[in-house]
Amino acid sequence: MQKLGDFKLPQFFNYPPYFTLQPVRDTREKQVQLWKELILDYCRTQKIFVIGLEEEFPLFSNHLIERSLSNEAREAFLSVLVSEGRAEWLDRGHRKCLILWHRIQDWADILLHFVRDNGFEDSVMTVEEIRTGVESRGTELHGIDRTILMRALKLLEHKGKLAIFKGTSADDEGVKFSV
Amino acid sequence: MRRRPGIGGLQTAAAARDQYRLLGDNVAKLRTDLMKEQLATFRSQLEDFARKHKNDIRKNPTFRTQFHEMCAKVGVDPLASNKGFWAELLGIGDFYYELGVQIVEICLATRPHNGGLINLQELCALLRQKRKSDREAVSEDDCLRAISKLKILGSGFEVISVGKRKLVRSVPTELNKDHNEILELAQAQGFVTVDELERRLSWTSGRATDALDTLLDEGLAMIDDGHRDGKRRYWFPCVSSISTSVVSDI
Repeated sequence: MQKLGDFKLPQFFNYPPYFTLQPVRDTREKQVQLWKELILDYCRTQKIFVIGLEEEFPLFSNHLIERSLSNEAREAFLSVLVSEGRAEWLDRGHRKCLILWHRIQDWADILLHFVRDNGFEDSVMTVEEIRTGVESRGTELHGIDRTILMRALKLLEHKGKLAIFKGTSADDEGVKFSV
Repeated sequence: MRRRPGIGGLQTAAAARDQYRLLGDNVAKLRTDLMKEQLATFRSQLEDFARKHKNDIRKNPTFRTQFHEMCAKVGVDPLASNKGFWAELLGIGDFYYELGVQIVEICLATRPHNGGLINLQELCALLRQKRKSDREAVSEDDCLRAISKLKILGSGFEVISVGKRKLVRSVPTELNKDHNEILELAQAQGFVTVDELERRLSWTSGRATDALDTLLDEGLAMIDDGHRDGKRRYWFPCVSSISTSVVSDI
C-alpha cells in the first residue's frame, strides 16, 4: 500500500484512469465518490483546511504512475464537496477552497464540548487562545482555520451561547461564553 | 384332420394368447424387479460412498469436483433440490446457495467499479476473503456451479470466456465478437488504445472507436488521457486486479 507520510492511500489512487474525468455518468459518479472521500479523509488526518487549486497538493498527482489531475477535474471534485456542504469556495474564481471535514454546525458542537469540559461556561477567551492556547492543545480545535472558527462562533452567537467583542488589540477578538 | 373354424378353435386361440401375455407380464415384472433392486443397490452404494466421504466432499474442492462429475455421469444432481436426500446428507445444497448469495453480493459491490463484469479468479479471491473464517476451501469450479444455480433466478448471471480467462457477467450486457476481442487484447496490460486495435486487429479507427464507446457506455471501460504520449488509453477494470483492493476498502 502506497503512503503519503502516515496516510494510507486507497488502491484507486494507483489506477491511471481515475486521474481523467470520466465521460460516462455512472462511472463518473463512482469516480467522484472515491475522490471526495479521499480528499476529506486526507484533509482530516493532515489537518488541512484550505486547498489551492493551482498549488502543489499531494493528492493531485501520483508520481508513481505519472498522472495528475487536470484543473477541470480538481474543480469538479471540489465542486461536488461544495454542493454537499463539505467545502466552500473562498473566491469567485474557484481557485481556493475551504474544506469542511466537520460541517460548521459540527465545529460549533465541538466548541461547546470544549467549553463545558474545561469549565469555561462563563469565561472570556480570545479567538487566538481558542486556536493556539494551552487549553485547546490536544483537541480538534487546536490549529483550526480562523475562518472556520469565526463561522462556528458566529453560529453560536446567533444562538445566544456567546458574545463576540472587539479586544484591546485591533487584530484579535474576544469571546464571552454564556453556555 | 384339418381343424374347422368354430367357437372351440377361437376359444383355444384366445386362451393361448392369455397364457402368453401372463408369461410375458411375469418376465417383464421379473426384469423390473431386478432393475429396481439393482438401482436400489446402486443408490445405497452411492449413499454409502457419500456418507463415508462426506468430509472429503465438504472440505476438499478437488474431491468435490470429481464427486460432481461422477454424479453427473449416472444422472444424479446433488443440487437439484435442497429438500432431497443429497442435500440432507451432505448439506451441499446449502453450501452452494450460500456461495450464490455471496457471489451476488460481490458482483453488486464491485459493479460501480467494473460495470458488472468480473474476472472469475478475482471473484474467487474476493469470495475467499469474504469467507475467511470458513475453513472450507472454495474452488473456481464451486464458483461456476453456484453461478449456474443463479441462472434459475433469471437474473442474468453468466460466465463468458474471453481468451484464456473466464469472466462473470452480472448485468445483461450484449457483448459481441468485437468487444470480446478488445477484452482479450486488454488482458496483457489492462488497457488498449485505438492505434493498438487498428494495428493488432486490422480494424478501421471507426470500428475501434465504435466498439470502445459501447464498452464505455456499459461502464466496462474507463478513459485515461494522462499518459505522456497523449494517446487516450482505455482501461478495463474487469481484467486488471485493481478492484480487488478497492472493494476491500469499502
